[in-house]
Amino acid sequence: MADVDDGATAPVSEPLDLVRLSLDEVVFVKLRGDRELKGRLHAYDSHCNLVLGDVEETIYVVEENEEEEEVVRTIHKKSEMLFVRGDSVVLISPQAPS
Amino acid sequence: MSFFSFDTTLARDHGHNPSAPGFSQAADPFAGLSRPGDEDEDDALDFEDTYDGLGDQLDETDDVFNEDTFGVGESGAVSNKPVGKDFDFFGQTAKVSDAINEEQMRFSRQQPIPRAPPTMTAYSQPAPKPARTGYEKYKEPQTIPDMQVDPTLWGVAPKRSAPAAEKPAAPATQASSRKMMSLEEVEAAMRAQAKKPAQAQPQVAPPPHQQYSGPPQQQYAQPPPQQYQPSYPRTSQQHPGQITEPQREDVQPAYSGPPGQPVQILQRSQHMPSQPMPPPTLPHPTQILQNPNRVSADQQRPAPALHGHQSRPSGSRHIITHPQQLANLSEEERAAFLLEDAKRAKRNHKIFLLSKDNGLMTPQDKNFITRIQLQQLVTATGNPNEHGTDSALSEDFYYQVHNQIRGGPRQHPGQPLSNFAQTYLFQTGGRHGMRRQARGGDNHMQRMEQQVQRAVEAAKNKPKNKQLVIEGSLGKISFSNAKTPKPLLNIKRDSGTDVQQPSSATRDRRAHQAGVSGGDRKTVLADIESVYNTLMEMEDHDRQLPPPLHDDVDPELVGRHMDWREKAQKLNQKLWRQLKVHEPIGATAVHPFIAFLSFNKGKKAIARVFRHITHEQRTTILTMIIVHLDQLDVVRNAQLLSGETLLTAGIRENVELFSLAVMPSLFAYLSEADLDIVTGVLGLILNINIDVIARTRVGVSMLTMILSRAELIKQAGSAKETEWEQWVSVYNKFFDGLEPTLPTIFPGTVNTGEDVYVWQFLAAIGIGASPEQQQRLVVAVKDRVMETVALAKTLPLDMSSQRLGNVNLFMRSIGLDVDLLV
Repeated sequence: MADVDDGATAPVSEPLDLVRLSLDEVVFVKLRGDRELKGRLHAYDSHCNLVLGDVEETIYVVEENEEEEEVVRTIHKKSEMLFVRGDSVVLISPQAPS
Repeated sequence: MSFFSFDTTLARDHGHNPSAPGFSQAADPFAGLSRPGDEDEDDALDFEDTYDGLGDQLDETDDVFNEDTFGVGESGAVSNKPVGKDFDFFGQTAKVSDAINEEQMRFSRQQPIPRAPPTMTAYSQPAPKPARTGYEKYKEPQTIPDMQVDPTLWGVAPKRSAPAAEKPAAPATQASSRKMMSLEEVEAAMRAQAKKPAQAQPQVAPPPHQQYSGPPQQQYAQPPPQQYQPSYPRTSQQHPGQITEPQREDVQPAYSGPPGQPVQILQRSQHMPSQPMPPPTLPHPTQILQNPNRVSADQQRPAPALHGHQSRPSGSRHIITHPQQLANLSEEERAAFLLEDAKRAKRNHKIFLLSKDNGLMTPQDKNFITRIQLQQLVTATGNPNEHGTDSALSEDFYYQVHNQIRGGPRQHPGQPLSNFAQTYLFQTGGRHGMRRQARGGDNHMQRMEQQVQRAVEAAKNKPKNKQLVIEGSLGKISFSNAKTPKPLLNIKRDSGTDVQQPSSATRDRRAHQAGVSGGDRKTVLADIESVYNTLMEMEDHDRQLPPPLHDDVDPELVGRHMDWREKAQKLNQKLWRQLKVHEPIGATAVHPFIAFLSFNKGKKAIARVFRHITHEQRTTILTMIIVHLDQLDVVRNAQLLSGETLLTAGIRENVELFSLAVMPSLFAYLSEADLDIVTGVLGLILNINIDVIARTRVGVSMLTMILSRAELIKQAGSAKETEWEQWVSVYNKFFDGLEPTLPTIFPGTVNTGEDVYVWQFLAAIGIGASPEQQQRLVVAVKDRVMETVALAKTLPLDMSSQRLGNVNLFMRSIGLDVDLLV
């Protein structure tokens, strides 16, 4: 079984090669500042700078309501194309087709 | 007492606030003179006296005797009144002196510089050359304005004393404090003059002449700008001077005693119309201004050499030299003139600003800078002669590829200059061409071209040493530039993907055999990536195709070609392995190649793959696709379930992509295929689920493609008889298999209107069908035909004709026409 795993990752010699497998696929990207992106990965580089297409961005904002309770509000944005600077990328995850 | 004590005494006596005198006041040692109501003792007070201790004796102790001395009653406090009258003359003088001082201050604040010239013209014989103003640099040598204006101000006095004396009224209105001067005033003035020879001279001296030199005084405040401005913005500055002039002109005719004088003067002035240097003492203001030629000449001269004497247009506005003329103009004309003048002044100023830095760099400097820039550009873009090699490609891949696709200018190798240099030169040349500086531009171009060539040569010849080892030193100096940064980390990467490949293939196979669905996806993705890698390698390799062989056999070139082919062959094999077309069918749930095609990037790769593979390989791929047609995602997932009229957006997108990316390659291949292949392909379809593929767009398109190719071959008549019989038998089987599906072949309802491909397919079937088959065909789709025709009647004309046209595709193929049904 270990052999099988090894075989599956044969062209993968560094972590970013896994990102490469997700090229032209929909990926889920978590960013600093409580932001998440979901979009088609068009390009990336060694800094994790990403170019995403058809992106859906989710921003989580914590607000206090009248009773001083913390309420998480989400903001959704859609962008046709997005350049994400790598220094804000926390994780990149392949998104299996739903 | 000391000196200091004297100081305080003095201050107190004057009512001077000791803290008040500022810096500027301290500079005026004669401030006491200007104090009205000063006591005369001040005059007597001298530095020597105070040093003797006189100040001490003046102290309170002696106040006791004040009454005796001045004869004033009980209170010694207010004793000024009787004294004031006796010594009043100085107070009066002080007033005048005050005014003069004031005037001086005002003047010096307005124009600190021009103190010297007035002095000279007023007291010495006017010098032929004005004192240096610091602006000579900007004027032409021997500029006239100074000469012209100075006499206007100062040279008038001696000559025109008679008329001028008769107009005291004019200055009086302007300077109220300066009426007729009393004897005291004159005296005070003289004294003041004596006391401050350095500063007050020009201002204090006028009083004797003041009756007639009023205008000059008055002008003092205004015209200095006129005199001492740099010559460029000067034209506009002149106006104030000129406009004030009319006042004088208005007065003059009234008082000019000898009536003939103006005429006389005018005549004389015309004798020397364009003489640049008038005798400095003679010119009248009137004389100068009344002679248009002269003044216009004078005005022109200081202008910055842009337009010569003659270039100035002789339009009415431009020969306004006489202020009277200006006065006589209508409002609009005057406005226009002023506007014009202001515009000119603005332009001159701009030119002045621009030309400020002219000549700062020598041609050598400019060359030097250009060389540096070129060098940097050349190193940045790489040696242009490496064009097409790896380094150039890795430097700017997209430009190079784009250039190749577009058939860039540097396709033939004999071209001397790089693209970069060409571009650079072209742009430079274009700019010059636009400017039509033919002569200078050409020279400049040539120089540039040479420099670029030299720079390119230098870059070429420069050895590519990354390191410099200085003799005798222990260390090395390594260079870096934008192209080859200094390597800080040196990681050896496995470039032997070739070595890995066979083993990975076997492992992949084992993975597939294990049927791990989770790993499957990753495996397929990895496969796609390796295919793309190889594709890029092959495309790179294509770019390195050696120049074509000529008639004369060059062994080296032949060798290179052989090497190239060998490498191409290797790459082809590698690609073929990675495509996994030859994986055994049925070993895994989904054939790897079909899985490959289920990803959009896999579909996109097919067009590129087809360019690099052989005919047999293409046939194999087509066969693989046909065999697995019902397993393709675009077929499998594109089945419309009952009740559904539209596919999901994602699937529709995939179908669209497959139609655009894969189908054209297959179609292009099939359109050259022979009938045996077409027959074989159709035979393969018999083995799979026709019902499934016939109800999808991709499947139907594929079938249409096959059938229409067969029809084309038939019409061309190139097929052999046996082959044709074979085809017909296969076709008959196919028709039999298809017939049950025909009623459900249309997607959605009649209203969706996305059935054009079905009509095309039916047409393709109908053409090849026998009459009996056509009959069955009509029966099968009759309902849909009638529905569509009925619908078309309710639709607008263009839409209905489109629908009917679609139906007609089919109807015509079986020899009917939809018009028969309407």
